[in-house]
Amino acid sequence: MATLKVNNLTKNFGKTQVLKQINLEVSDGEFIVLLGPSGCGKSTLLNIIAGLESVDEGEIMIDEYVVNRVEPKDRNIAMVFQSYALYPAMTVRDNVIFGLKQRKVSKEHIEKSLNHFSKMLQIDQLLDRKPAQLSGGQRQRVAMGRALVREPQIFLFDEPLSNLDAKLRVEMRHEINKLHEKLGTTMIYVTHDQVEAMSLATRIAVMNEGIIQQIGTPQEIYDKPNSVFVADFIGSPAINLIHGTFSTDQSSPCFIPEQQKENVKINLNDYSFNSEPKEGQKIIFGFRPEHISLRDASLKSQLPVDLKPTLIELTGYEKEVSFEFYGNEITGRLPRHMDTELGSPISLSLDLSEISIFDCESTLRI
Amino acid sequence: MQTLDFQEMEKIERSTYRKRTFFRWLLFLVLGLFAFYYLAPLYVMIVTSLKTMEEIRQGNLMSLPGNIIFDSWKTAWSGRGGIDAGNVFLRPFFWNSIKMVVPAVMISTFFGALNGYALTKWRFRGDNVVFLMFLFGCFIPYQAILLPMARTLGVLGISNSITGLVVVHSIYGLSFTTLFFRNYYVSIPDEMIKAARIDGASFFKIFFKVLLPISAPIIVVTVIWQFTNIWNDFLFGSSFSFGEAAPIQVALNNMVLTSTSVKEYNVDMAAAFIAGIPTLLVYVLAGKYFIRGLTAGSVKG
Repeated sequence: MATLKVNNLTKNFGKTQVLKQINLEVSDGEFIVLLGPSGCGKSTLLNIIAGLESVDEGEIMIDEYVVNRVEPKDRNIAMVFQSYALYPAMTVRDNVIFGLKQRKVSKEHIEKSLNHFSKMLQIDQLLDRKPAQLSGGQRQRVAMGRALVREPQIFLFDEPLSNLDAKLRVEMRHEINKLHEKLGTTMIYVTHDQVEAMSLATRIAVMNEGIIQQIGTPQEIYDKPNSVFVADFIGSPAINLIHGTFSTDQSSPCFIPEQQKENVKINLNDYSFNSEPKEGQKIIFGFRPEHISLRDASLKSQLPVDLKPTLIELTGYEKEVSFEFYGNEITGRLPRHMDTELGSPISLSLDLSEISIFDCESTLRI
Repeated sequence: MQTLDFQEMEKIERSTYRKRTFFRWLLFLVLGLFAFYYLAPLYVMIVTSLKTMEEIRQGNLMSLPGNIIFDSWKTAWSGRGGIDAGNVFLRPFFWNSIKMVVPAVMISTFFGALNGYALTKWRFRGDNVVFLMFLFGCFIPYQAILLPMARTLGVLGISNSITGLVVVHSIYGLSFTTLFFRNYYVSIPDEMIKAARIDGASFFKIFFKVLLPISAPIIVVTVIWQFTNIWNDFLFGSSFSFGEAAPIQVALNNMVLTSTSVKEYNVDMAAAFIAGIPTLLVYVLAGKYFIRGLTAGSVKG
């Protein structure tokens, strides 16, 4: 049980700055996911928290102690790696208890923890095997067992599920979730998979180019992305982004899409601006595919639109349909039983209470 | 679409088969020639060592011996008995070589492994420069280090001794063993070392418990390489030792070149063969791992 604080952390590899002034606070028992594209610095940040990489500037604090110069083994953390990183020459049993042996824990205690956690992870049948004789999923369990028996204050996961096949990944994801529920230990988890991030995290930190772009609950990140990058990175299919200008029409704010012949104005009365843009300012209008739906007169603040499908993809439980929308291609999610035909217009509506608006220049939410 | 003509097909099949057999035979013929070319000297050596001088003087190199006589092998190994100043035989020098090779191979292999481990898994500022210098060591010709090494051994007081030769070979071999182990350890994921560090293992604990147990293939390669080189070395042996402290290759040379009386080809051949037996044995026993280890270092996974 521990809190973690990262203060103004900067890290350089040679001349490239991979982490720029990172600030992060993790309270006890939280499940923080560091999410971002490859090369965004998320793994480096995790390695620094683990003590495997040195700090150039700033502080890492665990429970109010600055641990910048504390060896990884003395930070009371455990880490699970993408490649499992099991010791090939040792049996599963020796792999799991290696850390305890280094700490000179008593034999009885080792035996007890081994029994407890190997049952919990269902690896008790595999204890005498070598890692090479295990399947990917089993190796992952052993790697988790190795972390668990140490009963650390903080768990660190470095893309632990990336090497598993799709089905196993979902299974292991559930187990990690249950594990967090059961142990209540602080966990920090690195991934580039947004589904993992959304389903595991109590809070997500979206990273890009060495900066934390946004920290928040999965819901906040999804509903109120604070920049175009976050909006675009989270969600599949991706958010629809339409460029245009801001204008005030009869004292109500509205959005005028670019590249349109119809001179359409979309009313933004129901959008709460952080700061109201200037007349004529270039802005980006964003809405998620699920916010295009069948017309329902009972809902307020809707924009009725008639759209022609240009591409229809059935994903199983729904249809992803591409439309032409005032000179842009957008994607919508429609129920799978709905009749759709290429080229024939459908009466739909756009939910204006769920939109996001960004400044075109700074790409930040306004 | 054309219909298949079965007769035509059969004809094509037959001619392909004929062509294949022809090339197969050609291949075996060429391989056979090469095998003969490389094995002939070995054959001549063995046959000659088993002949009497009478038979050798008849001048037929390839003929089999009339009676198989091991006298020349005995002479080469333990001499003729009798106190004769010019009488050199291999037994004491064979043990000299063993006493030199075993520690030298062990020391250079161990430190090569340690260097390779440190250079790949504990990166430090300038580690590439250090590695380059090791690599450079591989390209220094033997002759270039003779004089400085002689001086060093003199200062250390271990010239003309087995210990001196062990030191020379250990140091000279270090460049190669470091290169081998570095290339092998580069392909082992760093995460394994990170995991061990978090588990609380020290630098040496990780080396001995995690890394060495999976280094068998490259250890075999290094041991074979070092054993062969050190056993077969003549230059260092003849430069830094003489008399009783000489290794077997030097003794072999002395034996063959200093015979005062008639040249005994059968004894020379037997002696040469004895001097080559240990390396042959090492290859036969560990050759399988040699190929495996050589490729393991270069190919990932």
